[in-house]
Amino acid sequence: MTADFVSRLPNDLGGAEAGPVARVDHELAPWEKRCHALADVLDFKKIINTEEKRKGVEALGADLIAKLPYYERWIVAFANILFAKGLLTPTELAGKMAEVEARTAAE
Amino acid sequence: MSDHDHPHDAITADAKPGYYEIMETAIRELLIGKGLISANDIRRQIEVLDSRSPALGARVVARAWTDSAFRERLLADGRAACEELGITFYDDTDLIVLENTATVHNLIVCTLCSCYPRPVLGLPPDWYKLKPYRARAVSEPRKVLAEFGTVIPDDVEIRVSDSTAVIRYLVLPRRPEGTEGWSEDELAAIVTRDAMIGVVPVTVNAGAVS
Repeated sequence: MTADFVSRLPNDLGGAEAGPVARVDHELAPWEKRCHALADVLDFKKIINTEEKRKGVEALGADLIAKLPYYERWIVAFANILFAKGLLTPTELAGKMAEVEARTAAE
Repeated sequence: MSDHDHPHDAITADAKPGYYEIMETAIRELLIGKGLISANDIRRQIEVLDSRSPALGARVVARAWTDSAFRERLLADGRAACEELGITFYDDTDLIVLENTATVHNLIVCTLCSCYPRPVLGLPPDWYKLKPYRARAVSEPRKVLAEFGTVIPDDVEIRVSDSTAVIRYLVLPRRPEGTEGWSEDELAAIVTRDAMIGVVPVTVNAGAVS
């Protein structure tokens, strides 16, 4: 049924079939908390609001959403939204990531 | 449908940062470099996040149980009443407080993502953000509640409220019998996070563990 592909976007889970609720939780890793703080600051500064963030996650598509944990989805969505808004370029991000990786590998 | 239940990698203190952590650092540093945000903004917001926990919501509930005028104001305008108690709303959201009664049991969810009354409860537990709760809370709430050990009699209506980016909900649980004459602090100590989500009742034996 190809209609299933368009009848629901990936975030639209209400009423879907699903298994039992496992009462799982975990303490946020430091980078996850920084990512959450970044999301809040981007919202306060009117750079990316909560609904843009949600849509940005949805735009990753069902496959990526299923494979990436929560804050990983957020940070990838932020990158894409910032590219779309012209606030960052993929080249800048790739360069900075290489620099951060080299720096942390040396620590 | 995609399955949102994926395990997190084990966190080890001395592990080298992973790809997404490097991405977070890179984005943050680039935005700081461009003057769009500051390092201080991030540091301050981490402090705000650390200052929020279900203990704040528990204070609100205990006040509502002991002060009927406050309870009325809380039900009329959740955000303004919380602000009276010094709880600031950092995320530009409205708060609607849903009162449980002998005939109505409330449950909150965010089917689309993970919207949650963060200013008063802190960050949501993982199960609130995962597929089974989001999918089923709206279609079979009684079964979901039973998985939390909560059995709601058939003659009690269950109302499920689905949060949005700008409207958040908090459940005002029923005050348990046997707490007559308790102080506000004693009452706050038995109010748990899960009771304010609506998945369990408040009981006199519950600690303030959430």
